[in-house]
This record gives sequence, structure tokens and C-alpha cells, in this order.
Amino acid sequence: MTTHLAENRPDAETLKAFENDLNNIREETMAKVGEKDAKYIRKLIRIQRSSDMLGRVALVLGFFNPLFWIAGIVLLALSKILDNMEIGHNIMHGQYDWMNDPHINSRKFDWDIWGDGGSWKRYHNHEHHTYTNIIGKDRDYGYGLLRLSDDIAWRPKNRFQFITYFLLSSFFQFGIAYHEVAGERIFAGKRKEKSSLPISREALKHSFFAKIKKQAFKEYIFFPLLAALISWPMFFAVLAGNLIAEFIRNWWTSSVIFCGHFTEDAHTFDEKECENETRGQWYYRQILGSSNFEGSRNFHILTGHLSCQIEHHLYPDVPAHHYVDMAKQVREVCAKYDIPYNTGSFVQQYWTVIKRVAKYSWPTEEEQKVAVS
Amino acid sequence: MSASTNASENGLKQQGWTWFSQALTQHDTFSGYFQPLIQMLLPQWTTDAYRAQIVDVRDEMSDMYSLVLKPQTGLLDRIWPEFKAGQFIELMVEKEGRRTLRCFSISSSPAYYEKTGLIELSIRIQQKGRITPWIRQQLTIGSLVNISEAQGQFVLPESLLQGPSSEKLLLIAGGSGITPFRSMLQQVHSQHLKGSHALDIHLLYYSRDAQQVLFQQEFEQLEKDCAGLTISFLDSESDGFICSDHLQAYCSDYYQRTAFICGPSPMIQQARKVLAELEVAKDKIYFEFFGAAPLEIENSEQGVVLFQASDKSIVSEKDKTNTLLEQAEQQGLSPVSGCRIGVCHQCICKKKSGVVFNTRTQEYSDTGSEEIQLCISVAQGDVVLDL
Repeated sequence: MTTHLAENRPDAETLKAFENDLNNIREETMAKVGEKDAKYIRKLIRIQRSSDMLGRVALVLGFFNPLFWIAGIVLLALSKILDNMEIGHNIMHGQYDWMNDPHINSRKFDWDIWGDGGSWKRYHNHEHHTYTNIIGKDRDYGYGLLRLSDDIAWRPKNRFQFITYFLLSSFFQFGIAYHEVAGERIFAGKRKEKSSLPISREALKHSFFAKIKKQAFKEYIFFPLLAALISWPMFFAVLAGNLIAEFIRNWWTSSVIFCGHFTEDAHTFDEKECENETRGQWYYRQILGSSNFEGSRNFHILTGHLSCQIEHHLYPDVPAHHYVDMAKQVREVCAKYDIPYNTGSFVQQYWTVIKRVAKYSWPTEEEQKVAVS
Repeated sequence: MSASTNASENGLKQQGWTWFSQALTQHDTFSGYFQPLIQMLLPQWTTDAYRAQIVDVRDEMSDMYSLVLKPQTGLLDRIWPEFKAGQFIELMVEKEGRRTLRCFSISSSPAYYEKTGLIELSIRIQQKGRITPWIRQQLTIGSLVNISEAQGQFVLPESLLQGPSSEKLLLIAGGSGITPFRSMLQQVHSQHLKGSHALDIHLLYYSRDAQQVLFQQEFEQLEKDCAGLTISFLDSESDGFICSDHLQAYCSDYYQRTAFICGPSPMIQQARKVLAELEVAKDKIYFEFFGAAPLEIENSEQGVVLFQASDKSIVSEKDKTNTLLEQAEQQGLSPVSGCRIGVCHQCICKKKSGVVFNTRTQEYSDTGSEEIQLCISVAQGDVVLDL
């Protein structure tokens, strides 16, 4: 149910003080950003590239012993998860642009997933991060497939949305690629009157297909064929290994992202209420619309620190591995101003996501009454 | 096969290779993908620059030092290309995790590089600078830096280096602007030793005061060794800046000469004005701005924003706070943009030089080349954008 900001929001004075406190956390953290961060991201990139190469070799060595094949899948999935989450997502948010490095910057980087980096930045960084959880504006809300709030009218197909959710997570990389170019608009011709996009539909279509072709060539043709040189059945072994690694990555990223915005207590908003927001009001909405989950350091890294979704939404361009420390401070600030801060264990949060998907599979009581009458 | 089919074939091959690399690594080149791993073996190795080792750091004066660099020639190193006397390079150093670039003229000659494999950069310490004092403190003998290939059109005329030439030169140097001339004169000298041709070069060398003249002994020696080379040492404190009297007094046949000017920008403007007044043709005057961009931001009342790729420019007043994005749009350019509040990073653009103020972080940028967000950047003085 959409949160009425005007009624719930603290008064202007409190919000101003709240804004200052949050700005201070940002400034204190940014003052620390430097050589350590450069070393950190380079180290992670080295781990990811090594695990990519080792994984591909191990899959082929599966010819000698299937344990290698399993190790290969794990390494390849690890490489893709690190590349997509802690490395790609964060670099493309501009978190490391200050390094002035020719390869580690938001303009150049592209990730190991079907979705084209340029299109993702255009849509995600702009629309999702500006209009977080505003129904009708933030297309990430349920990805246009799931009904996760009663602001969206119930339709009979929602009864099956658990199946939709299962399919979306399994083919998440396709979902994201299609979604970020607003596939339903550029392919099905659902045109918006006024396009806010800075590039043409043709350019969007082109980058959509160009990236998928490259990825499909790599995972389903090139590496399997290379393995087939040893013995032809290896083609299928490597192909299957690649598909399974992608499947693991798809479920992982999907689950992490769902826990960030679709937990039981994550709020949604109305477009009109968000016009001309002050920074403090914007911060407030970002906190209400996001949720965190807790875990060990390595766990945070595997989520790309989206486990600190709240901090990510407050400070999208601060190097993400600072989020864990920032979270402690943000939580204190929220407690001080009596602003809800949504966090829990991964299992707890994920459980509430499942409940939410289930709950909105069915119409509200009012809708049921209307339907009956 | 004609040259054009050859070129287009090469282009196709290149495109194919880039596609292949993008497909397998999401990078335009394989080396880009493997760079972080290669760096484990070869520190500072990078796809877009050359590695050079600091062989010596030499203090020339109280606020001036020379770096002696050896471009690396290892198996995996790309070979640093040849340079011409008078050209400059970008020196890239990583300070607090951040790559910073500065341009410096090479102060030694190509002949010296051929013989020893070394080049020299002579650097003035900018008192309030972020980089030049830091380099002097941080870079020790043996450490590695990145350099670009040599660039710039401020070079000796080809005719002079190839054989007997009637071309006469007038060189005007101000302070540390002497460095490209050191390279040129050393080059001329080494050819002179090989017993080649007569030459006629006159150098007017302005220094801040008579006590500290960079490379004085060396230049005096050069003058002795090379017939046809004349050097006038001038002291701006007692002699004043360049003026028509100086030209008439020290080099009365200036009008027959091709002029090369290098020094701080006020000095260059002054020299160009004097030469123009004396009716020296524009195409016979070459100049090179020198030193870091002005550090006193408060002093610049207005600046020019140059959109280099589209060859457009706009004058920005200091009290106006239009962002670079707005200014670009005023000029009819349409750079990619998004949120316009500094969140989405779509309007990132390469700034080639100049200082900008970031309205989001409330910080001033570095003077060198780096990527900036147009929608939250306001020019402070002259700025050159790759747009």
C-alpha cells in the first residue's frame, strides 16, 4: 500500500537535521576514500578474472574427473557473481570514477551478463535511483511482471505469479536485459507520448541484440567448441556447465535484489508526492523504500554490498565496501529521528519477499467484493 | 591491391578482433581484461601508456628538478615511439589511488635518447601545486611511472635537421620554458659535432633573476661549441620583459627569422604582441604554453570553455554558474545526459585541461586530464573538453 509521505514524514526542521547528519556520514567516508579503495577493487578484479579463467579450464578438465567439472561451475558462477555485483554494478555507478583509470570507470565498463552496460546505466542509474519505489515511475518495481503492492489492480494472471517469479529468477539475465531497454516499448510498440530517452529505439534495439549475441557466442558456442576439440561430447559438458553457472548467478542476483526493495515492510510511493523533494525528503523516501540484510564480510561482497541497499540508495556513488561501516551510523541517525530502518537476516528478509509475492497473488478484499457484485 | 582496400581490410580485421575481444571479455582489447593480472608481474603496466623507470632525480635549482627516465623495453612492454626535439609527454602518477596527468616538455635530445635510452624532464615545483612537489618527494630512483608518447607541433623545422639550411631561428624562452629549447639545442649540437652544416640560431633567454639561471653553464658550453648559435641571457628583474628594444638590441635581424616562443602565458602573449607590432608574419611564429594552468582560481574573471571535438567555444563569466552541460547545450551540442543532478553518470566527458568546480561535492578538480560529470561541473577559468 502506498505510503502517504505528507502524513508520515517528519516535519521540515527534523528532516533538515536528518539530511545534515546523513550528509556528514557521506563526507566523513569520502574523506577516507583513496589508495586502499583502488587496491581493493583491483584485488577483487584479479580474483574475478582468475576464477573466470580457472573455471573455464576446470570445466574442460571435467573430461578426466567430474569433480573438476563441478569445481568449474562453482568458479565460473563465482566469477560472474563478483563481476556483476561487487565489480560491475559498483563501477558502473561511478563509485570508482575518481581513480581516473582507463578501464575501471563507469563510462567504459561493461559486465559479464546479457544486459548491455550502457542501457542499464541509462535506465537503472537514472530512473530507478531517482524514482525508487514510486509506482508508475520505477519500472523496477515488480519488473512489470509481478504485482507486489495493492496499488496495482489485481488481474487474473497474478494468481500464477509464483511461476512468473520462478521463471524471472531463472532467466534473470534475460529479464534484466529486456527490462532495461524497456523491451515492451521498443519491441511491442507501446509508445510513450514523450520519450525521455536520450537515444533512439533503433540504437537501443541494436545494443540489446549486440550484447546478447556476444554473450551467447561466448557461453554457448566458443567455449563449448573449444572443449569439443578434445572430444565432441565435451561440447555438451561445457555448454551445460556454462548454463548452470549462469543459472546460479541468475538466482543469486535476483534474490539479492528482491530482498532490497520487495520485503514485506518496504514502502511504495505516489509520483505526485515526490515532486520537488528536498534532499532530506529524498533521503527519507530512499530509506523507506529499501531494506538491508546482514551477514559476514564475504557475504556482503558476494551481494555487491546490495545487502546494504539502504546505504546504496542514499550514497550510490560511494565505494560500496564502505557501506557496512556507514550502515551502523545511518541506523543510529534513523533511531535518533524515529525513522524506520528495515533490516534482518537474509533468510528472514527473503521469507518476507516470498510472503509478499504470495499475498499479492490474490485480490484485496475490496476488489473481491467488487468482483462479486 | 590498392591502398584503400588494404586499409578497409585492416579496418575490418580490427573490427572483428574488437568484437571477439568484447564477446569473450567485455573489454575492447584482451590486454584491457588481463591488465590487472599482468600488473602482478609488471607493476604499472597499462594498455594506454608506456612504462618508464626513474633512473635519477637531479635538483637543478631550489625549485626545479630533473627526472631522468628510461622507457622500458621488456618483452611485454610496447616500445616507446621516437620523439622530436621540442615535444612534450604526459607523465602519469598515481597519488592516493588516483591517476593524475601532467604535461612536461622533454628537456633532452632525441640523439641522447638514441645513445643512452634515456629522456629527461625538467620540472618546476609549483608552490601550491598538488603534484609537482609530491613527485619530487615520492618518486625515488628505481620507481616506475607511466608516460604517453611524445606529442606536440612545437618542433624544430625538418629542413634544419636534414641538411644545410638557410632557415634562421629566433628562440625566446621564459623561465622553465627553456626546457624544449634545451632539447632542440642539444639535438642541433649533436648534429653539429657530426660535422654537418652551418646554422644561425639566436636564443633570448629570460630568467627571473641573474642568480638562478637554469642550465646556464650548459648553454654557455653549447654556445662555444656551435658556431652560429648565439645566446643572450636576460634578467627580467633588471632588463624587464620582452620588448621591441630588446629585439632590436640583441637580434636586429629578427624579421628574417622564424620565431619559437615558450614560457608562462603572459610572457607568450607579450612576445606575440611585440612580434606582431614589428610586423613579423603570423605563420612564422610558433609558441607553446608552459607550466601548469593558473592556480589562483579567484583571479580569473572569465574563461573560455573549448569543446574541442566539435570545435566550438563559449566564454563563461565567473559570476554565472551555468554548468558545462548547459553551456554545451547552448552551443547546440547534445551530449548524452540523464538525471542532471549528478546521480546517473551518463553525461561523463573527458576534460582535457582546466579546473572545474563540482557543485555536488563542492570541490575543485585537478588541472590535468580526467573524466568529469558535465551536469554538476562549472568551469573555473579556461577549460578544454573532449566533446
